[in-house]
Amino acid sequence: MDRISDLITKSPFGPIQKHMEKANESAAELMTFLESVVNMDWDRATQSRKKIVDLEHDADALKAEARGLVPKSIFLSVPREDVLELVKRADEIPNTIKGISGLMIGRRMEIPSEISVTFMQFAAEAAEICKVASNATNQIDELFQFAFGGNAAEEMQKLIRQLDSLEDRCDETEIILRTQLFDIEKDLPPINVMFLYSVINKIGELADIAEQIGHRISLIASR
Amino acid sequence: MDIIINYGPYLLISGCVFGFFMAWGIGANDVANAMGTSVGARALTLSQAILVACIFEFAGAYLAGGEVTSTIRKGIIDPSLLADTPELLVFGMLASLLAAGSWLLIASYNGWPVSTTHSIVGAIVGFAAVGISVDAVSWDKVISIVSSWIVSPLMAGTISFLIFRTVQHLILNTDDPFRNAKKYVPAYMFLVGFVISMVTLLKGLKHVGLDLNFTESLQYSILIGVAIALLGSLLLKRVKNISQQRGDVTFDGVERVFAVLMIFTACAMAFAHGSNDVANAVGPLAAIVSVVQSGGEIASKSTMPWWILLVGGIGIIAGLAMLGYKVIETIGKNITELTPSRGFAAELAAATTVVLASGTGLPISTTHTLVGAVLGVGLARGLSAIDLNVVGRIFLSWLVTLPVGAGLSIIFFFMMKGIFS
Repeated sequence: MDRISDLITKSPFGPIQKHMEKANESAAELMTFLESVVNMDWDRATQSRKKIVDLEHDADALKAEARGLVPKSIFLSVPREDVLELVKRADEIPNTIKGISGLMIGRRMEIPSEISVTFMQFAAEAAEICKVASNATNQIDELFQFAFGGNAAEEMQKLIRQLDSLEDRCDETEIILRTQLFDIEKDLPPINVMFLYSVINKIGELADIAEQIGHRISLIASR
Repeated sequence: MDIIINYGPYLLISGCVFGFFMAWGIGANDVANAMGTSVGARALTLSQAILVACIFEFAGAYLAGGEVTSTIRKGIIDPSLLADTPELLVFGMLASLLAAGSWLLIASYNGWPVSTTHSIVGAIVGFAAVGISVDAVSWDKVISIVSSWIVSPLMAGTISFLIFRTVQHLILNTDDPFRNAKKYVPAYMFLVGFVISMVTLLKGLKHVGLDLNFTESLQYSILIGVAIALLGSLLLKRVKNISQQRGDVTFDGVERVFAVLMIFTACAMAFAHGSNDVANAVGPLAAIVSVVQSGGEIASKSTMPWWILLVGGIGIIAGLAMLGYKVIETIGKNITELTPSRGFAAELAAATTVVLASGTGLPISTTHTLVGAVLGVGLARGLSAIDLNVVGRIFLSWLVTLPVGAGLSIIFFFMMKGIFS
């Protein structure tokens, strides 16, 4: 017997939203991790690092689930490439965070006190972008319910605009941070400085990825 | 002739038993798709769905099942060729019931996609073409039936697409979806009542003592539509714009308005299903009864005794009550993506298409029509994901069901011919 239930399949956005939530949790945990690093509390940092690794594993499983829900035989109401791209980008967040935490804990990196305040602000702003991207992902449900129109679409565009302005602010903070580091770099061990720049780059990447997620969602949301 | 006179009562009783069994199978299996959507959308609870199905499947079968039954009974086969050998028609119809029934049993047991309608049509064409003569089949009619199998899902898909587009335009994409839902949903309710009653009345209800012309039918249909819209408005008054948790699905105010609408489309769906699918069971029975009761005369002019539809209606309800509820429950649990605003569009489109087919006497597959309707909603971006494999399986079921149904009925036909001669 043909069952009508075979026809209507599970939406891939459920796992994608959970996936994005993991990414967001991971970003929040990064803040805890960085605080511990700034305070040179390596025990706490190790615990945090472990959580970050676990979250990355969870995210991988959810990524696989989300991808499994969009085989070629499934007709999607939104372009498949956008969905797959969204999954791919969302997966880069926990990966990047894992990379940052691995690098810092492996080298027992110290954040010079002169830049620590700006550094934490920069990281917090990047994490905030991840959070808004996760909110936007959750908003996809509403979007579907109201068939891509009306208030839900407007709400979504508002979130995307918020994402853009957060990214701008984050970029500015990054410039300030780089200037501050440049001012003191000659007094620091060169290798350490190199890796500090590398961490700053990666946090900047994090913000970029989260912003791109927003743009993918905005593509999905537009007709 | 002698066979009919000597064995008449036995043939009649076998026909009733097989026909009832077939109707039972439809109730146990087929109704589930029609009702599962409402249960899946959480518009009806399981027991409400059973109640609705019992009442409206029966009403559909009894009030509007006559045309399709008559097609199955005497539309596919040209009875004039059988005037001298009426017993062949009786054997053939018994063989068709047996063939379709056993094939459905095997297929459902193995989970293969089959359609009751296709099985019975294949079986009748099979025994007539091979057992009697190729000319005994009214190929024109067969071609129109087969084309209706292609047209009905397309039509339902188009209608559901358009309905859902109007829902997007008038309700969902507006600043206050809840207020607009309350404003426009009664209009959809009117449509449900109007379309179903118009088709049913036009086709004629002479057998229950109601004979109306076109204008009268139109007037009564409008009255019924308005009455349903008023009843619906009363029910809508109680719906408040608050979110509510039902099962694992959160219903916000708008969907709760549509859930009320879906109660009506569920009734229409059950009615439509009963009106079309009862014929698969009782059409062959009707042919047997008319031959046996006239003492071996193939009287294509004689009207069908209406108790036959009763047998079908009761059979469907029995199957539904004994096994069908389980299948509905399974389906309902597995559809979580279809919300009432989508489900109603699919149901209204499918019910309209099926009732139209019933009115014109075309036996179509309710499930395939509903699949077409759901695809229509999906194309209007109402559903996030749809499995197109199912569409492929429908074509496969055509290719398999028709020859298997035909082959089995040919075997049963020659067996019976052998036993009685």
